[in-house]
Amino acid sequence: MDMTAIFGDYTAIAPMLILIVGALILPGIQLLSKNRTATWAVALVLVIASIAVNAMLIAEEFTGKAFDLYTYDAYTGLMVLIFQVVLFLGVLVSNASIETTRLHVGAYYALLLGATTGMMFVAGSMDLVSIFIGVELTSISSYALVSLKRKDSRAAEAAVKYVIIGGMSTALTIYGISMLYGLTGTTVINDIAAQTQLTGMNWMFAIALVSMIAGYGFKIAAVPFHMWAPDVYEGASTPVSMFLATGSKKMGLGVFFQIFLIMFVSGTACSAIAGPEVQYLFAIIAAFTMTVGNVVAIAQNNIKRMLAYSSIAQAGYILIVMAVMSEYALAGGLFHMFTHVFMKGGAFLIVGALICAGIGEKISDYRGLAKRAPFLAFAMMLFLFSLAGIPPLAGFTSKFFLFSSAIGSLDGVTSQWVWLAFIAILNSAISLYYYARVVKAMYVEKGTSTEKVSIPAPFMVAIVICVVAVIVLGVYPQIVFDLCEAAAAAMFA
Amino acid sequence: MIPIEYYLVLGAILFAIGAYGAMTKSNAIVVLMCIELMLNAANINFVAFGAFTTDIMGQVFVIMSISVAAAEVAVGIAILLNAYKMRKTTELDDEQLRTLRW
Repeated sequence: MDMTAIFGDYTAIAPMLILIVGALILPGIQLLSKNRTATWAVALVLVIASIAVNAMLIAEEFTGKAFDLYTYDAYTGLMVLIFQVVLFLGVLVSNASIETTRLHVGAYYALLLGATTGMMFVAGSMDLVSIFIGVELTSISSYALVSLKRKDSRAAEAAVKYVIIGGMSTALTIYGISMLYGLTGTTVINDIAAQTQLTGMNWMFAIALVSMIAGYGFKIAAVPFHMWAPDVYEGASTPVSMFLATGSKKMGLGVFFQIFLIMFVSGTACSAIAGPEVQYLFAIIAAFTMTVGNVVAIAQNNIKRMLAYSSIAQAGYILIVMAVMSEYALAGGLFHMFTHVFMKGGAFLIVGALICAGIGEKISDYRGLAKRAPFLAFAMMLFLFSLAGIPPLAGFTSKFFLFSSAIGSLDGVTSQWVWLAFIAILNSAISLYYYARVVKAMYVEKGTSTEKVSIPAPFMVAIVICVVAVIVLGVYPQIVFDLCEAAAAAMFA
Repeated sequence: MIPIEYYLVLGAILFAIGAYGAMTKSNAIVVLMCIELMLNAANINFVAFGAFTTDIMGQVFVIMSISVAAAEVAVGIAILLNAYKMRKTTELDDEQLRTLRW
């Protein structure tokens, strides 16, 4: 089907338009129908429609622009697909989860759809204005999503912390953008890249760089800006934690790719604006992020906190892309982002499903789970081993692509980032320790109860989707890796 | 005409005051006010740069940023209200919240 015939000039933003319409009408539908399931069904249909439109745009290799602010190419298509999958999993389980709000159903789905729309706009932005607006749309919706779990003091405190730290990161970012604008006189990223080649490194550029890295570093929870993430993921309801851990983190990483990769790589005169120094800065941030995330995760007893620290570590792995700054690294990073959705999302979904079945969030609550829910225990083991990078699961394949990009370029020359790959591999070994602890609790230790666990059907569907994706992407990575390579090529063109 | 450095210094001072307050104050409302100061420091920069280069983009960005800041404060105050109902205080460093302080 030819999408341009239907959407005309708006084809590039068609997947977002569907979600925006959804976000606007869903509160009304809830108000008129007074039926949670009806609202949920409409939200789910809209999300599937949006995925279908995007899939067709990817299939016909569409490229196009909207309003000179937004461009759709292979990179945008892939990122939008990632966010849509996250949203689909989140919406699918929301009606069945006992944690999600019973009071503001319309607002809940509207906020989920709105937050995803922001992420999608960020993925295609070529202008700092639209990146800023997209990030804020996602952030403000996320603050509200976390605090929607009312009458829960943990959620209320997490939301306070989230909104304050998020506000500080916004302020840092916009101060950096203002400096960059003053230096170059434009907010279009390609023009900024061209301008900074002429002006070179100076104090304004340094301030802009530091405050933008810090500001967006908060969004991806890079060390030392990571302290909010465990509290927020623990306090929020589990579908929302899954949405934040897999979705909004990817948005921050996408911002890094779009602003800094274009600025430092597409502008070839890297040395004029201290490219190698910035690469080292990113390498150090990446090394600290993965190490702190993994080491602190060992000490956690709450499984949501453990998964939060592990997702800090995963962001550290993906930051390797910013140190290496090569096309192959970007393809590997995008592939890891794609597989991360299924393995981390799947793990959070199992936690959410078990909460519905009355099993708590402590790792000790998982004792003897293999007897009570054999499939769930097996799926959890697959997701955790995939996160640790055990072959033949998806996490192994994507980590292999990502780390090998740091070890050597394709022409056989060993790169300067071997030490970073070494730290990353060492970290994978550390992470296996705390993942194996959960597996041991489920399979080896004896639980107090032996009754069978039954979970709601939507959770089961979502978990099965994740299991299939984790296995298939591990065995046949080429299905998605081709898309990732096309996306990286589009970014570096 | 006032040189542009004056505006930038004003912005930098505002930003520093805001950042200091946001990191040291214990009342959540005051912290939100300090964040507002930091945002307005950036707005001053934008307006000054826009006026000196006669480029309209600076002013446009300020309008965007003011509306975003308004939305953020609205959501922030609502969240604080919700937390206040639960804990009867807006202080960030009482015993329950001590673990939440970064």
